[in-house]
Amino acid sequence: MTSSIGTKIGSGFGLVLLILIAIAAVSYTSTAKFMDSAGWVAHTYEVLDNLAGFMAAMKDAETGQRGYVITGQDRYLDPYRNAAALADQNLKNLRRLTADNAVQQRRLDAIEPLVASKFAELQGTIALRRDKGFETAAKEVLTDKGKEAMDRIRQLSGEMQDEENGLLKQRSQEEEARSQATKLTIVLGSLLAFVFVMIAGFVITRNIASPLKSLSGAAQRIAAGDLLVDLPPNNRRDEVGVLTQMFVRMSQSLKQMSVVAKQIAKGDLTVELAPQSEKDVLGNAFVAMVVDLRKAMREIGEGVDVLGSSTSEILATTKQVTTGAAETATSVTETTTTVEEVKQTTVVSSQKAKRVSESAQNVAQIAQVGRKSVDGTIEEIARMRSQMDLIAESIVRLSEQSQAIGEIVSTVNDLADQSNLLAVNAAIEAAKAGEQGKGFAVVAQEVRSLAEQSKKATVQVRTILSDIQKATNGAVLATEQGAKAVEAGVKQATQSGDSVKALAESITEASQAATQIAASSQQQLLGMDQVASAMENIKIATTQNIAGAQQSEAAAQNLQELGQKLKHLVGHYKLPASESKALAMRAATGN
Amino acid sequence: MRAATKTDATNRKHAAVDWQAVHHRLEAAGAAIERQLSPAEVDKKSLLKSRATSLAALPPKSEAAEEYLEIIEFQLASETYGIELRHAVEVSLLKELTPVPCTPAFVLGIINVHGRVLSVVDLKRFFDLPNNALTDLNRVIVVRNDGMEVGVLADTIHGVRRIPLRDLQPSLPTLTGVRADYLKGVTRERLIVLDADKLLCDSKIVVQEEPR
Repeated sequence: MTSSIGTKIGSGFGLVLLILIAIAAVSYTSTAKFMDSAGWVAHTYEVLDNLAGFMAAMKDAETGQRGYVITGQDRYLDPYRNAAALADQNLKNLRRLTADNAVQQRRLDAIEPLVASKFAELQGTIALRRDKGFETAAKEVLTDKGKEAMDRIRQLSGEMQDEENGLLKQRSQEEEARSQATKLTIVLGSLLAFVFVMIAGFVITRNIASPLKSLSGAAQRIAAGDLLVDLPPNNRRDEVGVLTQMFVRMSQSLKQMSVVAKQIAKGDLTVELAPQSEKDVLGNAFVAMVVDLRKAMREIGEGVDVLGSSTSEILATTKQVTTGAAETATSVTETTTTVEEVKQTTVVSSQKAKRVSESAQNVAQIAQVGRKSVDGTIEEIARMRSQMDLIAESIVRLSEQSQAIGEIVSTVNDLADQSNLLAVNAAIEAAKAGEQGKGFAVVAQEVRSLAEQSKKATVQVRTILSDIQKATNGAVLATEQGAKAVEAGVKQATQSGDSVKALAESITEASQAATQIAASSQQQLLGMDQVASAMENIKIATTQNIAGAQQSEAAAQNLQELGQKLKHLVGHYKLPASESKALAMRAATGN
Repeated sequence: MRAATKTDATNRKHAAVDWQAVHHRLEAAGAAIERQLSPAEVDKKSLLKSRATSLAALPPKSEAAEEYLEIIEFQLASETYGIELRHAVEVSLLKELTPVPCTPAFVLGIINVHGRVLSVVDLKRFFDLPNNALTDLNRVIVVRNDGMEVGVLADTIHGVRRIPLRDLQPSLPTLTGVRADYLKGVTRERLIVLDADKLLCDSKIVVQEEPR
């Protein structure tokens, strides 16, 4: 077949579509007709309803009138009053609804005057009843005018009803016929469609699906990588044929590319590939890939050289770092030991300083007590001194008194001497007087003996005075010595006080110094702790450094090996002459 | 109260002073003084009575018929001398002695006794006895003779004495020198009694103005 697959499939689908459309059309028209007839049915029901309403209104009017006529009560006129309007309304509706039916219109024409006359009659009867009473109204009723009008109305209404019902029946019959036709159409159409679809399917399958299946199998194999597919040639000119041809061409080109790729894989970058066309993405990509690979190989070669040299440098540096870190570690350990020793020393000195401070405080207290006692001593000594002064004063007074006594004694002595002299002179005179003077001589002798006694007494007193003098002198000496001792004591006490004060001061200084020492020892300790922890950190860092350096070394080693491998790999690839020459030149100059 | 000797001081050093005892002693001494100075009426009366009694006592019977000498006993240097009372006028104190130049050594000077100017003679120099200095105890015995009145320096006046003549001996062999000329006699107690007459009449005692 020469038509394309599309046409074939299209035509098949088109046929089916046509059938479907036919069915749809039929369905649509039937449905429209159904709706239409339903509308008419509703219309008819409405007419009937209005008719019934109209009749009910008429009946109501009559009932009202009758009730009023019978009872004469106004409230029985209520249904009558509403009925007129209702009837009128219903009639209007009927007029409108049956506008298309001439017969019904004629009937309506007949009803209307009847209604009017009925109402007139009713009105008249009511008026009669109102005005003239029951008997007159009854009489009027009995004339049957109303009844006849009502009967005629009833009859016409019945006819209208029948007419409508007949229309209804007619329409339903039509409906049924139509629905049957529709059912038939649908069934037949469906069957037809079914048949056609089956035929079309079979055709398509045979014509299109199986070649496609074989193609897809080939495509799967190609997709799996197996390019050794052989497709049967055909000269179909539809898409399938074209597809098959194209597939063949594609597999050929792929085979070509696979060959090229194999070469590249072997390392031969000298391959040349021509793309199938401008739009040959794969071919272009291959070409680009080969170019890029050549460029990449060249650059990798250069990079590998640089890598090699850098790696050696890194290795050297890491070795240095490792050695340096090892040295650092040793010195850190030494420093840590020293720090520990210093810490110990600091602790000891701090404790000692604390003890010194405590003992200094004790001594300071003791010095305070000593000071107080020295002050007390000085006070006592001062009291002693004043006592000494009192004693000295008393002694001096004593001495002065003795001196006074001495003077008195010497006066007495003088008196005694003079008395003695007097007595001697008296004796002389008495001797001269002779006998008469004997009594006088006795008196003179008595005077002399008294004077002698006085003199003896004065001598005794003198002796005693000299004793007193000696005693006084001794006391004065003792007092002087005592005063000197007191002075010496005061000096000593003052000296003691001063030395105690100096001691207290120096103790205070020592205590302060000790406290400062303790504080600075504390700080030293803290500092040492910090140094120790810093040392620790340095140690850890150094260890990490060493580990890092070792890792770096290992990495550098790996890099070196990698470089070697890369070099080896790069060497594997053959480049076109010009480029390889350039590469060789660069390698020779050690770029 | 005893004198404060060194031993006492040392004792006091070793033993605390018993102030109670000291106070007691002071009180006792004070009370004694009070009693002495202002004795009770009873004591006064008894004292006066004893005095009166002793005064009223008859003098001892004088030794009758014996001749004795009344002398003034005085001291010169180391020896005791005496001068007859009949020659002595009075005994005076040595006061306001005025030395006179150009006089022999034994003439000490002149003094004023009751308005009379007398020369004082130092018998020590006169007799060439060891000299000693003048003191307040020196007395002047005014000795008078018919022509001369001289003050004789005495170291101390012992007093007026009666010496029985029989006690008086002419001399002692030890007494030599100038003194021997003027001796009246010597007692057993080695009291040398001077002859005032001889002394006063001696030419040596008369002072002539000596040439310078």
